[in-house]
Amino acid sequence: MTERTATLVVLAWNRWDLTRRCLDSLRQTDLTGADVIVVDNGSTDETPQALVPYSSWLKVIRNPRNLGFVGGNNVAIGEAEPDSDVVLLNNDVEFRQPDWLQKLRRCTHSAPQAGIVGCRLILPDGRLLHAGTFIVPDTMWGQQIGSLEKDVGQYTRTREVDGIVFACAYLRREVLDAIGHLSVDFESYFEDTDYCLRARRAGFKTYVCGDVTLIHNEHGSTAGDDGEFTRIFQASRDAFRKKWGRSLESRYKGEVLWQSIMNFPTGYAASTREILRALERRGVRASYRYVYGPGTPYPVEEPEPGGDYLMNVISRRNGSPAIGVVYGQADVFHKNRGRRKVGFTMLEVDGFPSDWVRQANRMDEVWVPTEFNRLGFLESGLKRPIHKIPLAVDPDYFHPGIQGFPNPSGEFVFLSNFEWGERKEPWLLLKAFNDVFSNAEPVRLVCKIINKDPAVRVRDEIRRLRLKDSGGRISFIFNREFPYYQLGAFYRSADCYVSAGRGEGWDMPLMEAMACGLPAIATDWGAHTEFVHEGIAYPLKVRRTVPAVAKCPYYEGFFWADPDPEHLRFLLREVYENREEAKGRGAAAAREMGERWTWEHSAEKIIARLQELER
Amino acid sequence: MSHPARTIAYLEARIAVLERRLAERSAALRAVARDACDEDLINLSRAAMGLPPMPRAGFGLRGWKETTTLAPSEVEATMRELWRSVTPPNFGDGE
Repeated sequence: MTERTATLVVLAWNRWDLTRRCLDSLRQTDLTGADVIVVDNGSTDETPQALVPYSSWLKVIRNPRNLGFVGGNNVAIGEAEPDSDVVLLNNDVEFRQPDWLQKLRRCTHSAPQAGIVGCRLILPDGRLLHAGTFIVPDTMWGQQIGSLEKDVGQYTRTREVDGIVFACAYLRREVLDAIGHLSVDFESYFEDTDYCLRARRAGFKTYVCGDVTLIHNEHGSTAGDDGEFTRIFQASRDAFRKKWGRSLESRYKGEVLWQSIMNFPTGYAASTREILRALERRGVRASYRYVYGPGTPYPVEEPEPGGDYLMNVISRRNGSPAIGVVYGQADVFHKNRGRRKVGFTMLEVDGFPSDWVRQANRMDEVWVPTEFNRLGFLESGLKRPIHKIPLAVDPDYFHPGIQGFPNPSGEFVFLSNFEWGERKEPWLLLKAFNDVFSNAEPVRLVCKIINKDPAVRVRDEIRRLRLKDSGGRISFIFNREFPYYQLGAFYRSADCYVSAGRGEGWDMPLMEAMACGLPAIATDWGAHTEFVHEGIAYPLKVRRTVPAVAKCPYYEGFFWADPDPEHLRFLLREVYENREEAKGRGAAAAREMGERWTWEHSAEKIIARLQELER
Repeated sequence: MSHPARTIAYLEARIAVLERRLAERSAALRAVARDACDEDLINLSRAAMGLPPMPRAGFGLRGWKETTTLAPSEVEATMRELWRSVTPPNFGDGE
């Protein structure tokens, strides 16, 4: 590792209370190989006098007036040793991690082509404020990634990003030498994104070192002065648009109209959001339209978009991309508005209904996530080209480092998460678990159940199973909806995940649990065969296929799996008795999900198809 | 019988009675523990400590609220509530 020294620059303008907290906490950390400069940017409060006792361990530069964020920092950058890296710090950050600087330095000098490295910033109440930034040319307003979610341990790896906020920015000397100081085009705001873009143009990359987290009392220095904030912000935004607008637009190498579902708690909606995000990152300008609503099999209007900034931008984009992708059930493929039409769907049984096939045959091509569905479509009469586009998992939200809430009593916890109904075959798992364990054993099954069908009385159905009081203990989490970003914390609260249903189109919950490092018992049929195998999970044997009898009309005439109850009992006991082996498979699953099954992989395959269709 | 000897005899008899009662009570509690559900056991122990019963958290069939409406919930709060509902309270070392 390079033993490069670093000059830490703390910019202060009034608010001595913040500066004092910043400096006092900073001094408690490992400052080996660092010197500290405080820039007093013309403070009119007690800051100048209060800094005097600190001069034994830091250097104070006093500007006669407030030179703004850019001017103040540039003065200090000029004062830094010429061979030293520079770390810019706001005075409203607080340090609770002793090795923050050493980790940032290590990251900067080890990540490929790293020029600028930031960290995770959390608010004092524990919400995640920043894990990097992105900016879209539609609005020219930089957005912080992970903004204001509860901190569950998301974004803890080192990731390349578009930009970072300069509340904490480690600038490698080579970058400073190559592109110089912060741009004086900006008094405050946008100077950080501008700097990251300039660095990128010079061949450097920007990273967030997820291993470092600082507390940030955002806008501490300008809080309470909205008029001043607006004036500075608008001026900087105009300057930024003029400078970078065309360059940001030119990042897009393709476009697509994505017709699907986005603002519902469904798998299609969750995967739509992830796919659109990944496409945007990879330079595909996607527009979105809701494909269901009145006149479709799902006549419900889509709710207004939530607080997801990028999704809101994508939803409001106009234009008519040549390629339209309908991502949903194939009975809405006819709503495709593209000149080149793609239908992207999946189903949980071994074939596809004739209406779906009829509509699919009017597409230019069809996408499905699995070989299981590809074969099912072809056997059902599909004549159009069909390609496999796998679904995936977000490794920043689903990984073994996510903070769970395990049972403090130490019980071993099996977890299952499903919508009540024939396809999920819940009675099989409930009976098997209750049979194979006794209530004297420290083990529990937690079932998170959703039921939206008023004709179904779940409690009565469970009672009819006559589960034994002396058998394995089961808890139910009924009709509770967790924020999607917190699901990793849910999975991390258990020891083993079980998905023992009859058929899946993909099974995102299973994949997410596996990415979180849980060993999983999963029916060895259908979509599961795409990513579940002995090395990383416990495939559950299937006795045979049986007619898919359920309320869902799409299943009529097709077959699905009949999971083996004996084998399920065996596997439950096997995992419980051999926990180290199970942990090993869970860890292997997490690695494999992170390496092979991310949304970046899905987007890569989608982009390859879009490019082919554009020819 | 001298006064100290009487006292000792009285105390020994008293101990024997208490031991018998303890054995009977233990046997009764074991019988309850065999047949009662977690929730009842927790509430029994809470009652013995003069605490009110746990609120019905809805994680078992008895506390279940049958509905088709999804309730927005936080994972942390839900899991803590769930574990509290199935774990007997810790009263320390009996001090």
